[in-house]
Amino acid sequence: MNLPGNLSRPYGPYPEYEPTIFYPKRSPQSLHQDFTVQCEKMDIPFLSYLPTEVQLLNDAYNLVIDAILGPETDLKEVKEPYAGMLVTLKQVKIPIVSVDVPSGWDVDEPAKDGINPEVLISLTAPKKCATGFSGKHFLAGRFLPYDIQKKYELNLPEFPGTECVIEL
Amino acid sequence: MLGVRALFGIGLLVTSRGGSVLTHTGACARVASNIYSKDLAHRQACTMANTIKYLGQEEAQHIDEELFNEYSFSVDQLMELAGLSCATAVSKGYPLQSLLKSPPRVLVICGPGNNGGDGLVCARHLKLFGYEPSVLYPKRPNKQLFQNLTTQCEKMDISFLTEMPEADVVDEVYNLVVDAIFGFSFKGAVREPFGDILSQLKKTTVPIASVDIPSGWDVEKGCPDGIQPDMLISLTAPKKAANHFKGRYHFLGGRFVPPALEKKYQLNLPQYPGTDCVYQLN
Repeated sequence: MNLPGNLSRPYGPYPEYEPTIFYPKRSPQSLHQDFTVQCEKMDIPFLSYLPTEVQLLNDAYNLVIDAILGPETDLKEVKEPYAGMLVTLKQVKIPIVSVDVPSGWDVDEPAKDGINPEVLISLTAPKKCATGFSGKHFLAGRFLPYDIQKKYELNLPEFPGTECVIEL
Repeated sequence: MLGVRALFGIGLLVTSRGGSVLTHTGACARVASNIYSKDLAHRQACTMANTIKYLGQEEAQHIDEELFNEYSFSVDQLMELAGLSCATAVSKGYPLQSLLKSPPRVLVICGPGNNGGDGLVCARHLKLFGYEPSVLYPKRPNKQLFQNLTTQCEKMDISFLTEMPEADVVDEVYNLVVDAIFGFSFKGAVREPFGDILSQLKKTTVPIASVDIPSGWDVEKGCPDGIQPDMLISLTAPKKAANHFKGRYHFLGGRFVPPALEKKYQLNLPQYPGTDCVYQLN
């Protein structure tokens, strides 16, 4: 289960991100509930609704992290509030950073009229829909055992040093 | 052995009364005593950085409990971040290209508790970073977490030794040893086979990188005739034993402390650089 996050402007003597989370449908899994508590205890605010007025989002935040729908999503079953959120995201002017798969895209094919993220962070390995992705494309999730990489012939690039991301 | 290691100590200034450690980045601590002339410049240049707190054993245990009970972190989550910090610190202190022996073999010795778990995670990430870790894990807790961590290592082709090699064999085969035997919960007598293992480690000449507490040391008072590691990776916050650490590298790892917890215990943690999961304290 994914959840969308937003980042607002940093302030203070040390630049830090100030994330705000929109998490309309909460997973019943205790793991995800724990993640939510951890965020709350870090004083990360949770929005009660996502403004449909796109200008409000453009003004309040530097970028949007799209962690709504992942590669396992059945696109025929996308219900509210996600469909509405995707409509909003298609209109924002601030950059969108998508986690693993741009939400609403078919995992095997680039979407023609889906959201248009500036950055994609593929997890473990890129998905087919990322072929020819025109924005910045990162690979993350540096945990795959070598024998799985070999078994699926992933040909993953070598992460530099101790970095956990690599730009593709 | 202690004398030789002290000669290798570069830029580490620790007062015996404890608490003051000068960092190499210039964000300095208030020095309680012993002003070394070269560090006057540091102090003059420094801003209002406070001294990082060095924890007692009970305090460390309370913080741990709070992270799990109040903040809802799982042991898995924090152990993964801790182990990753250890592997990252080892990579920074002993980069692959600097190792004298090929292949880049590292011996990771895992104890019977959570410190051992940190070691298993560390071994796995060292493998991903290009090192060739071997694990010695003589006493394995009967818990799913540790069984899973062991499987993960086995499936990464990390070999598990059946017994502790003699010191001269360690020196010949391995570039360094990761000591993940005992952590901040350690109290009382050292049970076998760890007594033997620590005896061998006192004889080895390859660097030892200790996870959180040099194993066998009193968590607050240290241990003058215990092992003398070259690197210490303090997790969450340093413990009082770190005041007695005389090695070259002291890293802070475990970048997961919520600001409210840090404030509550007045940890005065330093600012980790960028997205790094370790901070070099000396």
